[in-house]
Amino acid sequence: MRYQELFPMPVEWIEDVDESMAAAVAGWAEREVSPGRLEHREDYDDFLLPAIRKLLVDIGCQAMPWPEDTGGGGLTTPNAAVTFAVILEQVASADTGIGFLLANTFSLQSTFGIEPHRDDKLLSELAPAFCGGREAVCSLVLPSYGDGSSEKSFYGLGYQVAAAQENGQWVMNAGGARPQCSGATASFFGVAFGLEDGTPAIALVPSDAGGLSAGEPFKKTGLAASINADLAFKDVRVNDSNVVLTGEDRYRELLSWYYMCCSAVCSGAMLASYEILKEWGDTRVIKGKGQVFKENPLVAALMGEIGGRAATSRILTYDLARMLSRPDIYGPAGGQAVYATATAVFKHVSRAVMKSIDNAMELMASAGYATEWNLERYWRDVKTIETYVVPETAALTDMARHYFDLKRL
Amino acid sequence: MRTIDDFTRPIEYLSPFDRYLGDIVRTLVEKEVMPIRRGFDEDWEEHNTIEPAYRKILGEMGMQRFFFPLDLGGLGLGPSDSGAVCGYHALEEVSRADSAMGVAVAVGVAWVLIIIAKEPHVNRRLCEEFAPMFCDTTEPFFAVNAMTEPQGGSDIENMDVIKGSTIQTTAVLEGDEWVINGHKLWPTNSGGVAGLFGVVCTTNPGSTDPNDFAFIFVPADLPGVTQGKPYQKAGMAADKNSDIWFENVRVPEWYRAHGPGEDFKYFKEMVSWGNVLSIAFVGGAMMNVFELLRDFCSEKTYRGKPLKENDDVAGVLADIATDIDIIRIVGYQAARMLDRPNLYGPGWSDEMVAKARAYKYFACDRAVEDLGRALNIMGPHGSDRIQDVEKHWRDLKIVQLWLGGKQLAQMETARWFYECETL
Repeated sequence: MRYQELFPMPVEWIEDVDESMAAAVAGWAEREVSPGRLEHREDYDDFLLPAIRKLLVDIGCQAMPWPEDTGGGGLTTPNAAVTFAVILEQVASADTGIGFLLANTFSLQSTFGIEPHRDDKLLSELAPAFCGGREAVCSLVLPSYGDGSSEKSFYGLGYQVAAAQENGQWVMNAGGARPQCSGATASFFGVAFGLEDGTPAIALVPSDAGGLSAGEPFKKTGLAASINADLAFKDVRVNDSNVVLTGEDRYRELLSWYYMCCSAVCSGAMLASYEILKEWGDTRVIKGKGQVFKENPLVAALMGEIGGRAATSRILTYDLARMLSRPDIYGPAGGQAVYATATAVFKHVSRAVMKSIDNAMELMASAGYATEWNLERYWRDVKTIETYVVPETAALTDMARHYFDLKRL
Repeated sequence: MRTIDDFTRPIEYLSPFDRYLGDIVRTLVEKEVMPIRRGFDEDWEEHNTIEPAYRKILGEMGMQRFFFPLDLGGLGLGPSDSGAVCGYHALEEVSRADSAMGVAVAVGVAWVLIIIAKEPHVNRRLCEEFAPMFCDTTEPFFAVNAMTEPQGGSDIENMDVIKGSTIQTTAVLEGDEWVINGHKLWPTNSGGVAGLFGVVCTTNPGSTDPNDFAFIFVPADLPGVTQGKPYQKAGMAADKNSDIWFENVRVPEWYRAHGPGEDFKYFKEMVSWGNVLSIAFVGGAMMNVFELLRDFCSEKTYRGKPLKENDDVAGVLADIATDIDIIRIVGYQAARMLDRPNLYGPGWSDEMVAKARAYKYFACDRAVEDLGRALNIMGPHGSDRIQDVEKHWRDLKIVQLWLGGKQLAQMETARWFYECETL
């Protein structure tokens, strides 16, 4: 709940569980992330992985939708959306990459752990993995650009994985499918594929499924907490019961949750960037006449824009979370209207945060660019999220489809 | 197939030598830099893979000799009337492969030497003194412009307003030697790379008198010079930056570039050159972005056809190509203006400084925005280092930030065009 006075959010929607989770995550950030940041920077094995374990296992963030008597958090209703936003914002302000792993995990879990789609049998089967002592990150494998060979697509984006039904199982094949995160380390993948008529479906595929292999981790701009690698599916078999959703509405619902979660991650990065710039503006003196940096009119004008973007990004994110938590008021999360709003909020927030960090770097000049000052890490991380989550042209077309009633795109 | 050579530039400004040189540099970087540049980020501290490429470009090919007079073993571009366009062209080609390498080369063998090797203010004695360091070796040799300080950042480049009054690095004349004390940050080619520093000093701390601004050369191996470890940065790994401390460093009196008033004046010319050559880094990198985007958008499909055949994607590609074309024209034109002071005014004039700032500001802003859009077009592949576009995105951001950054560029531009008096 930090920054409440500066960048308000709708406090009337915040419950006790949200407050306590925010406090727990803030404590995690202070103990596990902040002290080692300067020394370890983005070291995965010695710094980020232990922090991920603490967050997911010890604090229990990976088990939020599971019943409390199994060690879970008991978040079974759509109200979880607001809790997820609170958690993700806090996590991402400490490490945006870890926030992104959790955004993937929450989003996939929403498809089988949150009412009205709660699947108690699947939850029970998966409880040992998510409520036990080992970290279990989930990662989405979504439709993407093709290479000309994709047979099926979802509004122009090709399914990366082909699946065919065989004896009550789905048999999956793909060459180099690009997961959203953690291809080399995730425990479960939420794999999008097209049914016979192209309708989207998502299957929950454990990383140890026979025939599933990850390639060499590849280097990328940011998100060091995500050791990503392309996946090969060679006759990977999953049971029909692992198909956690089918149909456009359900698929859009997953994306609505995913966009909300990623907006919260970006908002967290924004708040952290604000703090860095605030300190710089308070302490830097320019022009040799004792003029505090932030008191220069040109600087102040840009800072005003940055602060404004932070405020609107935060409130939009929580508004979207509220919409997802109250389908009785706003309609189903997979409906065209909420989905279009979710897409618009993600695009707006990710752009606003990217622009603000860009501006902050301009104000801090070389210090903004040096690893030591921490700002550039958020810049790389948010840009990576902006590119990964959905190709821009597809997102814009999705929005236009709803707002302007497109018929052919 | 369209290539980078289809982007426009005022070709009448290019001499046969420029074209010949450009071809050589292109061939060299395509062979020695582009195949290995993806590993530079991990080599930011040691330069094990980067240093051999510098050896080829600077030492063996001889680029480090460019600026010195012919009779001192140089190629004479400093005293010539074509050094800016020629240098711009060469640096554009280097930056197509790696803009960090572009800036390291530009600063290392041209920028710092402008103040002593450019007509009409050639300091013959200093050229004779330093030419052997650059011209009598095939080992790469770099210079540094030690300008920025901890307390002031871009204040030092803000010469019209601050007039050097915030400079903390002092030069005191004792007998026939300057004694220099101070602390510098961030110079390109620091961190142990360079062998010669050009140091911005004051002979009277707090003074706004241009006569007290001093630009003094300091060989890196003198007692009292200490360089820190290189900084880790978002990109630009081929350019090392670090702290430099000067503690009672003694150099001969004649190591001062020119003298009272003249150093101040010609340092402004360095500012103009720094801004114009920055456009070459931007333009070169953006031409490579064009190549990479062209290939990506031809291979990847969306809505059942190549990305580039989708109107919405094509619209963005058009914006990017338009900006590259304009940046290239503007960059070459700005370089030409530096080569023709008889037509456009001297490089140290307020007008030229302001215009150079404006052009660089424009080029950087367009490139940074275009690169962000390019990554968005590429979607989940935009952040792949194997695609190389994200490297240019990371690298070019600092080009926008240096030389006083965006805000100072805006102020200097406004000051001149609108005759502002109090900014």
